[in-house]
Amino acid sequence: MTATTLPQTGQVQRVRARTSKGRRAEARMAMLFLLPAIALVLVFRIIPLFWGFGISLTSATATDPGQFIGAGNYLRAIGDPNFRASIANAGVILLAVPIFVFIPMILAILLDQGVPGRGFFRSVYFFPVVLSSVIIGSIFSIVLGYNGSLNGLLKMVGLPAFDWLGRSQTALPVTLAIQSWSTFGMGVLIFLAGLSTVPKDMVEAARLEGAKMWQVWWYVIIPELRPIIEFSLVITTIGLLTSMFGLIYVLTGGGPGTATTVPEYLIWAAQGRLNQPAYATALSIILFVITGILAAIQIRMMSRNASL
Amino acid sequence: MHNLKLTAAIAAIMVATPVMAAEVTVWDVNVPRNPTYYAAAKTAFEKAHPGDTINFVAQPDAEYYNLLNTALASKTGPDVIWANGGASAKSLTGGLLPLDDKLPDLISQVVGKSAFTGADGKLYFVPFTLQGHVVYYNKDMYKAVGLDPEKPPTTWAEVVKMCDAFKAANKPCFLMANKEGYEAEFFLSLMANQSLTAQQQADWSAGKLHWSDPPIKAILQTWVDTYKNGWYQDGGNSQTMFLDEQTLFEQGAAGNFWGLLSNVFHWKELEKVMGADKVGVYPMPSPTVASDQHEGAPGVPLDGGVGYGVNKDSAHVDLALDAIKTLLSPEVLSVLVNDAGVVPANTTVDTSGIDSPGLKQIMGWLATRAVPTTHANSSAAELDEWHRQSQALLNGDISVDDAAAALDKVQAQAKPQK
Repeated sequence: MTATTLPQTGQVQRVRARTSKGRRAEARMAMLFLLPAIALVLVFRIIPLFWGFGISLTSATATDPGQFIGAGNYLRAIGDPNFRASIANAGVILLAVPIFVFIPMILAILLDQGVPGRGFFRSVYFFPVVLSSVIIGSIFSIVLGYNGSLNGLLKMVGLPAFDWLGRSQTALPVTLAIQSWSTFGMGVLIFLAGLSTVPKDMVEAARLEGAKMWQVWWYVIIPELRPIIEFSLVITTIGLLTSMFGLIYVLTGGGPGTATTVPEYLIWAAQGRLNQPAYATALSIILFVITGILAAIQIRMMSRNASL
Repeated sequence: MHNLKLTAAIAAIMVATPVMAAEVTVWDVNVPRNPTYYAAAKTAFEKAHPGDTINFVAQPDAEYYNLLNTALASKTGPDVIWANGGASAKSLTGGLLPLDDKLPDLISQVVGKSAFTGADGKLYFVPFTLQGHVVYYNKDMYKAVGLDPEKPPTTWAEVVKMCDAFKAANKPCFLMANKEGYEAEFFLSLMANQSLTAQQQADWSAGKLHWSDPPIKAILQTWVDTYKNGWYQDGGNSQTMFLDEQTLFEQGAAGNFWGLLSNVFHWKELEKVMGADKVGVYPMPSPTVASDQHEGAPGVPLDGGVGYGVNKDSAHVDLALDAIKTLLSPEVLSVLVNDAGVVPANTTVDTSGIDSPGLKQIMGWLATRAVPTTHANSSAAELDEWHRQSQALLNGDISVDDAAAALDKVQAQAKPQK
């Protein structure tokens, strides 16, 4: 027994040794492939992040490295009414996230259900996505300006003109509506891709069982789309918090007052025309932390649901 | 032997050329706007410095200071730096060379230096054009509402009377284009022109005169009152100044227009479109008159408009200084005056050939009395906040007292008092 098992053990050990050697080689190769990506992330993301954090603790300007002031810039941000207003605006923007997710979802379901002219609508919905935010901003500046086409139309039907972008009450909702118009095509595309994974036989079965259209949507399609909805929530939230600058810059310049000022607009102003890069980096770190927390919460929700 | 000498000579030229020939880089936002001026400067500079070149890099207006600050921070800035006078120029002084000892002759010939003088009292940019504020008016519209087009208002009471005539004819009296907050900046300088004493102007620059102090708060109140009195067209908070306002004025949207005298906008633009006989110009009166001034006296808010400075990290400081001398020389600068219609900061430039009636009047006021542009002596942070508060004031979202208090806080941070 012993005589027969010993050589077997030796073989196993040799096989194990060969396997572990192979795995190490495989791991080395994997590392080699990953290295360029890791280096890029490290050089262009991680190091600048820590470097920026270091600058945020100083009073640096473009031409002066400044002094170490600890949390001075962060305390200033807390006391800055413009930053507080920008955070409040970001809150309003976050409240609009469900609209940014559900409008594309509903349109995608309608397209998937086979409405007439499906191909045409798919193209038309996607068209604004290829336009840059500056072009979209310029178009809507002309349409919504006080002397613009919308007010021209209102006057034609006997209604008074309104300064859509110059009044504090309407500037942010109007900007959000334009942002929604310019990005919903991408959402539709994502949901259409998700809908292709919804089993057709399940929908068919529900219909044969006499389910009404809303029941098919509510009990079959939307539950199946749950991972797509969650994914869309995460990317929309991050997108709204970090990529509205171009549109706001062209449409309202952050005004009137602070009505459309978002954190990224203040960061741009502090870095450039105010020559306060250290304060700008402090605001950037705060925005990074807020976005990170929101994304972490959403990703946690996603992974929890995935394990159900 | 002959071949050896030839080879050695060629090798010497090849080695020496990169060392001898230098390129001076100038960053400027006006290159596409005034091509003849930059072409003349390039020709003159390269003629005076054979083998060296001057490279004018046209930078985008809106992003200029972001790009410049980033370049200066990473020590990759240009040799010669263009900047607007006032807060923009003053925020850059840390990265520039003081010029007082470097260009004494040229500096003695130019005016408008306060907009380019740092907190240490040294001059960091040499102004090459002046920036001032006047009111342009549409003579045809004056006639249409029953006013004498050759008698623009000289006192605040006459301004009120003139605006009443426009209101009666259901026409806006002044244009308002405050999307970027520039109209509010100009308004501050136009009103402070006559309402602040020379001492108060100096106190303002030093941060000792506050936004909540009576002379400045009165300007904020006038901003609100004139709006409430219906002097402006609707939608002012969403009109851009340099795009919408000029077009609206040329189309006859309002009778008067708080205009600019600079590289970007000036009398020549209007005279070209409307005709020199259709556009009038006058200095803006203010509701209160300072104790050291008298109402109706000609005089406009004026300061160095744009200037050139030298990057302290430049590898070609001497050439950069020579480039500035060339750009500001009477021969080269006269091209800009004649082609673009700017008012030169160099007093040795011959302006006698200018035939514009508007500019002749303006030059006369400059010779009589020029008050510093109040907004150019404000900090960048204060102007940024004034942009916001001016829009909120027009919309009725904030009271004058609260706006002044918010501006005071920003001023205290930007110009701390010991």
